[in-house]
Amino acid sequence: MRLFTIFAECNSSYVFSKFARCQCRESQLKLFKSAEDHFLVEIVKREMSQKSERRGIHVDQSELLCKKGCGYYGNAAWQGLCSKCWREEYQRARQKQIQEDWALAEKLQREEEAAYASIQGAQSHSQAQPSLAPFSKFEEKKTNEKTRKVTTVKKFFSPSSRTAPKKESHEGKTPSPSISRQSSIETDRVSRDFVDFLKNLQKPGREIHKQCRLFIEGMANKKDLGADELSECVQDFYQNMSDRLMTHFKGSTERVERVMDQVEKYIMTRLYKNVFCPETTDDEKKDLATQHRIRALHWVNIQMLCVPVDEEIPEVADNVVKAITDIIEMDSKRVPRDKLACITRCSKHIFNAIKITKNEPASADDFLPTLIYIVLKANPPRLQSNIQYITRFCNPSRLMTGEDGYYFTNLCCAVAFIEKLDAQSLNLSVEDFERYMSGQASPRRQEAEAPWPPAGPCGGGGTGTSPCLTQVYQNLDLLAGLGARQERVLEGARTLESDLINWQESVEREVQEILEKFPLEIRPPASASAIDSDNVENDRLPPPLQPQVFAG
Amino acid sequence: MSGHRVDAKVVMLGKESVGKTSLVERFVHHRFLVGPYQNTIGAAFVARQVQVGDKVVTLGIWDTAGSERYEAMSRIYYRGAKAAIVCYDLTDSSSFLRVKFWVKELQNCEEHCKIYLCGTKNDLVENDRSMRQVDYHDVQDFADEIKAQLFETSSKTGSNVDELFQKVAEDFNNTAFQIITGEKGVDLGQKKNDYFYSCCHH
Repeated sequence: MRLFTIFAECNSSYVFSKFARCQCRESQLKLFKSAEDHFLVEIVKREMSQKSERRGIHVDQSELLCKKGCGYYGNAAWQGLCSKCWREEYQRARQKQIQEDWALAEKLQREEEAAYASIQGAQSHSQAQPSLAPFSKFEEKKTNEKTRKVTTVKKFFSPSSRTAPKKESHEGKTPSPSISRQSSIETDRVSRDFVDFLKNLQKPGREIHKQCRLFIEGMANKKDLGADELSECVQDFYQNMSDRLMTHFKGSTERVERVMDQVEKYIMTRLYKNVFCPETTDDEKKDLATQHRIRALHWVNIQMLCVPVDEEIPEVADNVVKAITDIIEMDSKRVPRDKLACITRCSKHIFNAIKITKNEPASADDFLPTLIYIVLKANPPRLQSNIQYITRFCNPSRLMTGEDGYYFTNLCCAVAFIEKLDAQSLNLSVEDFERYMSGQASPRRQEAEAPWPPAGPCGGGGTGTSPCLTQVYQNLDLLAGLGARQERVLEGARTLESDLINWQESVEREVQEILEKFPLEIRPPASASAIDSDNVENDRLPPPLQPQVFAG
Repeated sequence: MSGHRVDAKVVMLGKESVGKTSLVERFVHHRFLVGPYQNTIGAAFVARQVQVGDKVVTLGIWDTAGSERYEAMSRIYYRGAKAAIVCYDLTDSSSFLRVKFWVKELQNCEEHCKIYLCGTKNDLVENDRSMRQVDYHDVQDFADEIKAQLFETSSKTGSNVDELFQKVAEDFNNTAFQIITGEKGVDLGQKKNDYFYSCCHH
């Protein structure tokens, strides 16, 4: 029981942190969006003013100009200031971080346009002139951006920005700078990838980009629509786009799908905030209901579900953990296809676990119960929202056919099973089921009195004991082992300490002895001429030759 | 496997241990007899190409869990399926009773799904006539009644397995051809409706 509560707590705190992160990301996206709107307004305004001049309609310039007298046009929405002056004003009130986000949003927009201007320039010389200016600007900006990015990345890793509570306390609604930066970089990166990808397609690439942008802008005005209508819009867009691509690529489904994958990625990264778990649906309520349901079913074990997985094999346990991680990770992805990929990865790990346990390829009869077990163990965050999101906004050719679709359908089944789960589906009596659900009893206690009856035809890896109990025993053994080892380490340390003391003493003693044996005597330096004085073998040498006087 | 573009979704239905997985494996294995088989980690989803005349049809074969406890969910599986192979064990009369359940479900929920009845473990029956618990003619009558095709297969010897899937692919090719020559625009619209709002909206 204890073990389970601990697990549940860990799990929920993990879920909570994930959830919190998403919240932050979404509020950050709002900022980003507002920056984008602002930029659009600016463009529209400039275009309009140019047009009015050309057509010769005269309005009193002074009324339109910025109140600060900088020469640019002002706007009532910005208290009569131009965008630049207004931003300067605004800047003081707002944090520096927000300004950076704005700049990034503008940069992104320009970058996309510049990328297209460059293509345009390459294709027709007449249009090349106007597009050059923004492009060079963009180059300049890009280098600026690069240097700044480096510093922000550093900031992200430095402990001061992570623990800096001053900025958050400053303004509660603003997300922490590191998170917002990270997220906008992600959107930024996706857009850049998209542009890079479309560059290869030349002219149709530009058209695709234009269509996508128009669509995203159009969707921004449809926030009030219900989730199903939004889904319909996106699906219609997919359908139209793939039909057009089909004609363009002359029926090469492979190429169409490649483009469609990129289109989906780009569009859904941008739309995610508005269409994931929208307020118009009861997705959130369902999420909570499922989460509570799974929590209430914490006592369901491998034997009840007839899961053919033996977690005592380390490799299998490893695969189970990986599967759980993958299914939880699904919530952190934005693109439906990436979410599907998480489900597929999770399923592959499940297959591996079954294969190792049973030593033969798994069938659906093995797979579905294991998936249910994994979902129960993982309690993935916002499960219903994610399923709905994928159903509504995934490219249908992925969803209904192919491997991803198969695993997704299995996940839907697993969730449906968990929702409808009753005593019969676990081979339990109604009374037992009720008692377990209400928490009056737990299956493990009963098992302590009598061994668990192996349910039905499940051969499984059931050893007769509950996996939790064995886990507890294992942990106890481990603890005992660790205790013994710590004891040994301590003992070793003590010996080492005494050894060190002994060694020091012995060295001291020896030094002392040597000092006593050879007292320090400072002898007067030997005469310089006696070169051989300390030659040991002196006495063995023959006596030096003496001068002899020879007669003669 | 996921790289294949799947043209037709084929679901395998049938009680536990009637041999759905073996049937699929036999079909796949047979085609892969020469090459290696190691990259298949499970037989739950298989995509396999079948030659029909001068065309290639890719069948995406979906294995389903046959246990009664998942009966309520089986509807989610066969949504959008072009063909359903409903399996029963020739040596187990109870397995045929379940066939009737799935056929009824399919007729109610997926009228465009073609039904194929498949009696498995034919090798056991051929060896020992007394093992047969499901009469061929009874099933044939039932199949005629529901306009389904009947096959008796053995995954062990491989008899009739390829014929079954070949027939599935041919039928799909024929119907798909009809739709395309018929009304192109309508087909796309229908596809959309079938595909998009089907999953998990029950």
